Amino acid sequence: MKTGYSSQLQKSFREAQRKSMYRFLLYLAGLPLHLVLFVIYVLKKKDNTYEVTLAKVEQELLKEGREKRYLAEYADQLRRKAEFFQEQSTPEKIQRQAEELSAERFKREAVQITDERLARDGVRRESYFGYVYSLLGKPAFLVISLLPGLIMYALLFLRSNPFLKYITERLVQSVFVIIGVGILVFSILYISPFDPASNILGESATNEQIAAFNRIHGLDLPYWQQLWSALKGIATFDLGTSFTGSENVASSIANKFPITITIAIFSVLMAIVIAIPVGILSAMRPNTILDMTFMLIALIGLSIPNFWQGLIFILGFSIKLNWLPATYSPGNALSIIMPVIVLGTGLTASIARMMRSSLLEIVHEDYMITARAKGLTKSQMLWKHAVGNALIPVVTVIGLLFGGMLGGAAVTEKVFNIKGIGSYIVDKQFIPDIPAIMGGVVYIAITISLVNLFIDIMYAFLDPRIRSKMKQS
Amino acid sequence: MKENRINRQAVILSKEYHQANFTWILTLLISLLFLMNSFSFKTGEVKPYVFALFGAYLATALLQLFIAWRIKRDLLLSGDIRKGTRRLGYIQLVSLATGNVFTASFSLHLLNKRKTPEYTFAVYTVLTQLFVIAISALNMFKPYVTDTFPMAMLLLLLVLVFQVVVLAIVAKTIREDNYPSSVGILALLTALTAITGNLFALLLGGSLLLKSRSTDESRIAKWNTMWEKITRNTMAVFGMFFIILMLTISVVSRFTFDYEVAVENDYGNILQSPSLVYPFGTDNFGRDVFSRIIFGARISLLVGFAATLIPAVIGGFLGGIAGYYSNRTDNWIMRLLDVLYAIPGILLAIAIIAAFGANTVNLIIALSLGSIPTYARTMRANVLMVSNYDFVDSARALGASDFSIIFRQIVPNSLAPMIVKATLTIGGAVIATSSLSYLGLGVEPHIPEWGNILRVGSTYLESHSYLAIFPGLAIILLVLSFNFLGDGLRDALDPRLD
Repeated sequence: MKTGYSSQLQKSFREAQRKSMYRFLLYLAGLPLHLVLFVIYVLKKKDNTYEVTLAKVEQELLKEGREKRYLAEYADQLRRKAEFFQEQSTPEKIQRQAEELSAERFKREAVQITDERLARDGVRRESYFGYVYSLLGKPAFLVISLLPGLIMYALLFLRSNPFLKYITERLVQSVFVIIGVGILVFSILYISPFDPASNILGESATNEQIAAFNRIHGLDLPYWQQLWSALKGIATFDLGTSFTGSENVASSIANKFPITITIAIFSVLMAIVIAIPVGILSAMRPNTILDMTFMLIALIGLSIPNFWQGLIFILGFSIKLNWLPATYSPGNALSIIMPVIVLGTGLTASIARMMRSSLLEIVHEDYMITARAKGLTKSQMLWKHAVGNALIPVVTVIGLLFGGMLGGAAVTEKVFNIKGIGSYIVDKQFIPDIPAIMGGVVYIAITISLVNLFIDIMYAFLDPRIRSKMKQS
Repeated sequence: MKENRINRQAVILSKEYHQANFTWILTLLISLLFLMNSFSFKTGEVKPYVFALFGAYLATALLQLFIAWRIKRDLLLSGDIRKGTRRLGYIQLVSLATGNVFTASFSLHLLNKRKTPEYTFAVYTVLTQLFVIAISALNMFKPYVTDTFPMAMLLLLLVLVFQVVVLAIVAKTIREDNYPSSVGILALLTALTAITGNLFALLLGGSLLLKSRSTDESRIAKWNTMWEKITRNTMAVFGMFFIILMLTISVVSRFTFDYEVAVENDYGNILQSPSLVYPFGTDNFGRDVFSRIIFGARISLLVGFAATLIPAVIGGFLGGIAGYYSNRTDNWIMRLLDVLYAIPGILLAIAIIAAFGANTVNLIIALSLGSIPTYARTMRANVLMVSNYDFVDSARALGASDFSIIFRQIVPNSLAPMIVKATLTIGGAVIATSSLSYLGLGVEPHIPEWGNILRVGSTYLESHSYLAIFPGLAIILLVLSFNFLGDGLRDALDPRLD
């Protein structure tokens, strides 16, 4: 069992050497261990066969006049090339290039011959990498070094499994993106020419009052310090108090988040339930009246601005027909219907179009012909082979559009007077209330990143193409 | 029996028959829309004007149905459309008086048997000009017009007459293989009339020039096939028509519409219902909503095009570099753009506008920044594909520099998906502009912009709903047009569909 692990670690260690990023991370992760090992390695290393042989080979080759031969060859080639392309080139330039090229080739040749000779004699080149590699093969060493090298072993272990490697890399990427979003949004608000202090305190505020306001909210600190505290605030859910009303920003965002997410989730559900059957029906009978009608409605759905659709719904269903309440109230389940439909319309239209085109593409794949050739009925072909595969790009699109939907929530929430995160950001932007806007935008971006992360990881398990690609790389 | 089958095939392949069916269905739907609006459910009274429109459209739809039936019969009997049936187009052309662009363009296409791209361009040039004149002429019902109105109308009418003559010449003389070189002057003059914003005239003039001057057969064939594919998609052409109509209106409105009526308060005429003087009524400051919507088209088109062009250029450049150069450059650029991509466009725009204030320039910058990553991704994917082609290798073998390979080989060959993407996202930019204006974060509130008009309208939803309905319809029509055109371009330019 132990040897199984150690050979796995060895393999992972060898592969990780190829990428400079991973090599750096490995040495960093196992820094104490590597320090000790390097000292031992240098002390133990007495054997200098390699260097001696290399010097000998170089001498031999020089004597043979190989470098001169290479030089002449390259100079000739370069001159002919310049002649052919009718380029103006001085003899010095050609000479210099030829020298570079021949020196490079000479070195390569020497190393190659040395390696060949040593391999014939059964001697291997000693290197620090080889030393650590051989140590990793010994279970006893692993047990001894488990504590100081734990992080490095964990890294190697994560790397050894393609799934784990993919998930970790994707997670790290998301973290960087989120930090980037924080920096970007903060910087945009930081370079704003507006002065929140004079906006809030009014025209008549004295300089002392403004200075005091800036001190309370930390606005007099230098850029890096403010940025650091903003990022720390996002990570620890402590964004301080807002400029107006001195409410706790994090807790007011936490209060407003659920309703936005609820409406968004219901919209996605509605979109999936309506759009996927519509897309399938359309793709099964392409270019018929049914298909054209569905696609026309979908295109209109894509072209309607959310807020106008909301206003027309209010006009029709609330004012004229008096069926549904015009504004949202938390206790009334009926009042959530219109916001959900309005927010979900664009998504429904996109998914239906995507599902149709994706299914139409798959119908022409070779494996569908195979399925027909082996005598499957039309519905078996559709449900067993087509729909599942067609859903793969559709789910990605849902993940990507989910972000746009959370952004569009600001408009819909304003129309239906919903106290969600979107209308919170819009209300706060007139001041501009930096912690509130920053918190709102960044937490929405985090939610979107998490949803997309989740979808990507799901794919790693579900899509056989991605799975095999991961194993190959 | 065999004869019959061939004729059936002719029915299926006939472009006219499909268009005829499509046109009567659409006209019938529009007439039903008028019928629903001609009756007021609250008071129970019938609006005579709207009801008359319903009658006219219904009659047009029935005539169109008859034409469709005649076409089918002709095709089944003889495999071709007879002259008598084609002549029905003259009668159907009368429907132009009701503003039905669908039947008008259909009948003009039915009248001419040979369909060259030039004929299509000429038809739409004339239609656009006619509609612009008709819309501008509505100003005559107002108590006063701007000083430049009579002169501008006269010029527009002269241009119309000239364009009708060109249409007749194109219909009579232009054949698939015959482009007399004497057309040159005519083509130049036609292209010149495009300064009104009527880009169809530019296309017509350019196309005629290309064919009368160029001896390169393959270039002409390419041009013809491309436009044939685009014009096969009826909705794409109508989308293009509406976009160019809006463009022409925004250019011409400077001279034919009175800006004062759209922005100056007139407390004597507050919240008037739609009438001939005020086709879409007036708002709470007595401003004419129709003029406001006309002037709003300018802003929407400007912001839409600017917020598409800027990110397309920047994103295209970044994506091109990322796709062409090594892994490391690619990784750096794309990871940095991922940060932008993670923030929804509207939220990023709100944050930028919060920081720098609400005005048109900031709006354009805010919307542009958010859509850079999508363009970069599209361009990168194209470049990755194109740079594997043999002609790139041969350019490299010939010693071309990276710069020249990128801009002379790769970029021209990966433009098509970018154009499609841009067309499809202009609509999104138009929606985003009006959404932000509706929230009070877009264009300055005193400027007539569709979102601003709607913002006012939304407060009078209960009593004067037309204030919110008309600007919304304008937005939908423009966005829908861009989407139709984008779909048409995608189908025409996608090599996979060949």
